Amino acid sequence: MISPIHILTIGLGGAFALGFVPKKAKDAAAVLMLAAIALMGVLTGSWLIGLINGESAQQIFTAGFKPPFSINLLMGLNESVLTTAVNFIGLLGGIYLYRNLKEAGNHAVMVFLIFIMGLNVVIMTRDIFNLFVFLEIVSIATAGLVILTESGKSIQAGFKYMLATGIISGVLLLGIIFAYYYSGTLNIDGLTAANIGALKGGSVALLLIMVSIILELKSFPANGWGLDIYEGSNAGIGAMLSAATATAMYFVLSKLLEMAGSEWNYWVALIGAVSFVGSNVLALKQRIAKRLLGYSSIGQIGLLMIILGFKDVLGDNTPYVAFGILFSHYFAKAGLFWLAGIVKQNDIANWAVIRKKPYFLFLMGTFIFALIGFPPFPSFFAKWELVMELVNTGNLPWVVAILFGSMMEAVYLFRWFGYAIKGENENIEDFKIEWNKILPVGIVAIALYVTGYFTSQHTDAGAAINWIPLFFVAAIFILDFLPVFIKNTIAIIGMAFYFYTIYPDLDNLRLVFEAIFMIGGILTLIAGYAYKGTRPGFYPVALLMYAGLTTIIEAQNTLQFFFGWELMTAGSYFLIIRGKRSMPHGLSYMLFSVGGAYALLMGLGMAFAGQGSYDMSIINSISYIPYWAYGLLIVGFLTKTAALGLHIWLPGAHGEAESDVSPMVSAILLKAGVFGIVLTLIGMGGENNAYPWLPYALGWLGAITAFSGNLMAVFQEDAKRLLAYSSIGQLGYIVLGFAMMSHLGWLGGFSYVVNHFLYKAVLFLTIGAVVLRVKTHNMYEMGGLIKRMPLAFTAVMIGIIALSGVPPLSGFAGKWLFYNAILEKGWYLQGAIMFFSGGIAFMYLWRLIHTIFLGQLKDNHRNVKEISIWFLIPIYTLLAGIMVYSVKPQWVLQPLGDIVAQWFPDGQLTWDGGTAFTKYGHWAGTAVAVTIIAAFLVVTALLMISTRKAHKVKQFDITYSGERPERPETTHVAYNVFEGLYQAMWVATIPLVEKWWNKVSDFLHDTAGIVRRIYSGNGQSYVIHIVLFIIVTYFVIIGG
Amino acid sequence: MKKLLVLFILAAFVSVLYPLYSSFHGSTGLTEVSQFYASKENIEKVNSQNLVTAVVVTYRGLDTLGEVTILFLTAAIIAFFLKKESDKRTLRKNSEIFKTAAKLLIPIITMLGIYIFINGHLTPGGGFQGGAVIASAVILMFLAFPNMEFSHKFFESLESVSGLVYVGLAAFGAILGLGFLDNAILPLGKFGELFSAGAIPVIYSFVGLKVGAELSNILHKFKSVQADN
Amino acid sequence: MEYITITTGFLIILAGLWAIMTRKNLIRIIIGFSLFDTGIHIVMVSMAFVKGGVAPILDKKELLTDTAHKIVDPVPQALVLTAIVIGLGVTALMLAYAMRLHQEKKSLDIESFKDLKW
Repeated sequence: MISPIHILTIGLGGAFALGFVPKKAKDAAAVLMLAAIALMGVLTGSWLIGLINGESAQQIFTAGFKPPFSINLLMGLNESVLTTAVNFIGLLGGIYLYRNLKEAGNHAVMVFLIFIMGLNVVIMTRDIFNLFVFLEIVSIATAGLVILTESGKSIQAGFKYMLATGIISGVLLLGIIFAYYYSGTLNIDGLTAANIGALKGGSVALLLIMVSIILELKSFPANGWGLDIYEGSNAGIGAMLSAATATAMYFVLSKLLEMAGSEWNYWVALIGAVSFVGSNVLALKQRIAKRLLGYSSIGQIGLLMIILGFKDVLGDNTPYVAFGILFSHYFAKAGLFWLAGIVKQNDIANWAVIRKKPYFLFLMGTFIFALIGFPPFPSFFAKWELVMELVNTGNLPWVVAILFGSMMEAVYLFRWFGYAIKGENENIEDFKIEWNKILPVGIVAIALYVTGYFTSQHTDAGAAINWIPLFFVAAIFILDFLPVFIKNTIAIIGMAFYFYTIYPDLDNLRLVFEAIFMIGGILTLIAGYAYKGTRPGFYPVALLMYAGLTTIIEAQNTLQFFFGWELMTAGSYFLIIRGKRSMPHGLSYMLFSVGGAYALLMGLGMAFAGQGSYDMSIINSISYIPYWAYGLLIVGFLTKTAALGLHIWLPGAHGEAESDVSPMVSAILLKAGVFGIVLTLIGMGGENNAYPWLPYALGWLGAITAFSGNLMAVFQEDAKRLLAYSSIGQLGYIVLGFAMMSHLGWLGGFSYVVNHFLYKAVLFLTIGAVVLRVKTHNMYEMGGLIKRMPLAFTAVMIGIIALSGVPPLSGFAGKWLFYNAILEKGWYLQGAIMFFSGGIAFMYLWRLIHTIFLGQLKDNHRNVKEISIWFLIPIYTLLAGIMVYSVKPQWVLQPLGDIVAQWFPDGQLTWDGGTAFTKYGHWAGTAVAVTIIAAFLVVTALLMISTRKAHKVKQFDITYSGERPERPETTHVAYNVFEGLYQAMWVATIPLVEKWWNKVSDFLHDTAGIVRRIYSGNGQSYVIHIVLFIIVTYFVIIGG
Repeated sequence: MKKLLVLFILAAFVSVLYPLYSSFHGSTGLTEVSQFYASKENIEKVNSQNLVTAVVVTYRGLDTLGEVTILFLTAAIIAFFLKKESDKRTLRKNSEIFKTAAKLLIPIITMLGIYIFINGHLTPGGGFQGGAVIASAVILMFLAFPNMEFSHKFFESLESVSGLVYVGLAAFGAILGLGFLDNAILPLGKFGELFSAGAIPVIYSFVGLKVGAELSNILHKFKSVQADN
Repeated sequence: MEYITITTGFLIILAGLWAIMTRKNLIRIIIGFSLFDTGIHIVMVSMAFVKGGVAPILDKKELLTDTAHKIVDPVPQALVLTAIVIGLGVTALMLAYAMRLHQEKKSLDIESFKDLKW
């Protein structure tokens, strides 16, 4: 293999040779540069391949002498990976900047080439003074590149950068010369052996070296100059700084950290944590895209510093974790900067323009999700490993800091992404496509997916992940140009086939949930046939959610489970934000999901701690602070079931979603949270568990959630929001049921799970279909639709009867079990609340019939048609399910009882044919249902006969219907019908929870707004920050 | 107020640096590394009378290559950055004495510069020092004859050629198997004579030319964008 | 001897920092930076001094035997050469920036270049 020293020959030779290229031949210069970078890439790449295949690392000596007497370089595995990465991104960046470099002339081309060459040497060198020299090359080249596309701002940024790095490198030089004085060597390995940190002055010299490298990494808060160059320079240069320079500098830090000794690990981690949290909090107020990316880059480097500081804890996993985060950052940040250069919008709100070209939106989404650490990107696996190991070693505060910082990052990145997806883009000028700019972006996006896949294969737990559903999603994504009819058919067949192949492997508990997810999924997809055109983007994201859901069910280990959980979150987020006015809700959904996922992550980490395994069974035997672990798991799952306090995303998200999406995210998705809670409660040990307070608290939470969800539903005028609040209430019942930790409670819970799936799907599908016809969500703008949509009316009627839990329909089964369980448990107060909220439910359910289907038909609805057949098919299939369940409850309850009996063998129902007995009484489902249905039919028939001669109330018969059809809210009898109740109950409807979360958000944003004022823009104050940073670190680390 | 704050910061910074200062006791002998350089065997191996030059060009040659690159970079950045030529300036005429003296001095200064870098391995001096002296001749030229056309093309070519030769010599060492930047690719000659120390005088001469050319280019750029205000 | 130079060096470093942190004029700040750099160079050279040593140029016969005990350390001297050149490059570049900034706003006050902040 060619000696890596020839990177210098190629880089410098190329740069000097560029002097001979005539000024006119601009293309020649740029091509020569790209060729030189490619050549360096081939050289380092060949080393990478060689080293992976087991060749040994090579020392490169210069001047014919051995170190420490001459400068030496090292080409080991890490070096080969990183130099290859630098050259790769350099090549792509060079292609991206092709036109800018060409325009700026030969000199700019030389600078770019030397910049890349300098980074290579910085990575390889093993001599500290040589490191200083090449760092200077890099920073001078950077200062030059900042002004590549000149503007007043970029020159200012460049000057501040020079001033700041000038001071930093001066300090570094001072440290180096004293290190030489104490140790007599400049060789990094020699300095390591000399252990100068043990000397009084030596420790200061070491501090100066370490701090200046940390400062070069733009650590918070002495980094105003760093933010300025990210904002002020060409986006293509920003990409280089964030991807290439940061990568190289990070490796420098890791080299020097070995020299500094293990006592520095802690400090590096601490500074990293401050940087990660601080930078991400300050970014909250930022609205300029490139500066935002700068903040994010600095934050990511902070995270990497934490990893470096914990290298002893992570042990052999360190490169895996560090590279996982590093490469996600490297690809994603380069991609985002490049996108910023293509879109050319400063204000993040104007990024709405990006969706004028949908594939760009996909690229942006890829990068954002990779940065946050969603699967299938490498950062997901790295973050997982990091959190697991840190929790395992009891470093909980660090985990909290990491997750808090990540959360903040999620806030601003998803807000940005939200603008891109949903912002107003009518008046923004479309951007142009230049092929040399798109190519690099596309390549890094693909690279993220590919590296993600290979990262997962690295660990046993990751290798167990089933990628088939994801590949199916990818296939559908590629086929997105096809019409709905074909894609829908493919999706349904795919899901059905998949369900068919996996269901034999599932135990009964999982089968129940998988059936809800898959059969429910297929039924709701059928409604999709009602849509015309191609419905771009819908199928990939819907299937992504289902892929996540099935992964959760199939998960053999906790990593798989979490993988599925995050896929499901991502898919459902995209589904939800498809709705018209869904943006603020989409964001809050995502943020609660991310927060919940982090709670899960920590909980799973505690489960891992002490057990050293990722098998799903570890949650059955958590030994490390189990109260916290189970509590965190439950909190994490509760974010998905929208328990009170964590519910504020749900009404908007479900209410504003598309007609066939609402049932997916309500009837189906919420059950994922329930599944998680069921697993956790099983893990806690069933009936006589050791953590009685958790279920007790959970029970109260469920009861209060049920009450307030139902109460809020009463005051809704929007039909879909009404259903959404109703879901919150229903999930409250379910949570309470499971919290009872008894056979009957669980059976009631399961009964509700199945029921809620059935009737909520029916109701959301029907109301959604009605909304598609009448084009409004407001109930008072509807009315009399029974005449136009009798089938829809019937479906809603059956649905609300089932929901309300009165005989004869299936809802009663749940209610009956519930009250039995509550009596048995002795939770009378909770029972009273449940009873009361059941009453409240009638108040809103009635309105769905009364306000929408009865009364006067509105003028503009005179010609609406019955809801689409494609909605009717799934609706009536589900209704058939409800009827079967109602008439033959034992067909459902007996198998569910068997499942529950695995953990709660005591207090089972005893069955005698179709009659169930508890110690409090009995219930003959079939008999009750048949009797009541018969009575109902008889009464209906009688009424129809007896009212034939009744006076028909016409619209303008003001005696009976003085309603103004054009402004129904002024005269509609059902408008604000519960005003009286509201007068009595308004205290309970104050959105305290929402206010609380708003306060939290305001507090964080205000803090960011105040603290970021330290970045005054004055280069002089940045110098002061740097000096202060050195002083503070000195007093903290070494002490006075 | 601000000055008081700065004073306070500086005082704190002094307390950071103080341990460095207080633990400095001067040196009583050479470090291990420099003892190696000063050992008889290695003096003969490099065969350069000026040990500093031996360190600069051979032992730590990679630094020097980097250093040359930095000047090159600076010149390149200034070249693409300060490219706007301003209007011709109205300048006071220089006195005859100054012009004549300059005519006399410029060749002498240039000669001195060349002497300094050619003898870099024998006497104090070297490529950078020599190059800087040459550049001072160029300044003098700019001052004395401000309207004279300056062929920066020539200087740029000189810069590139010298750079290429330097990198070429360095790589040649690596290819011959002695190591990048090994001076022994050329005959070592007799200690203390002009033709000694292998490639050192050659490299240092090209460094001198390169530095002179680069500094002159930078000065030229500064001059050409100077406005009258 | 070496104490005088190292003290001077440190004082110049502080003087440079003082100028960088308090002066408003860009050129003065650059001069401050130059001072700061020079101070560091002086400190570096002080490190090289060995009591009783001569410059490491072996132009006399007697220096060729037992060289190691007769000369001062050549390494810091070599390093300082590199550092000076780097400092020169940085200073030149800063001056070029200052010229362009002046063209931009017709001012050399550092306070007037705060378009990028927060």
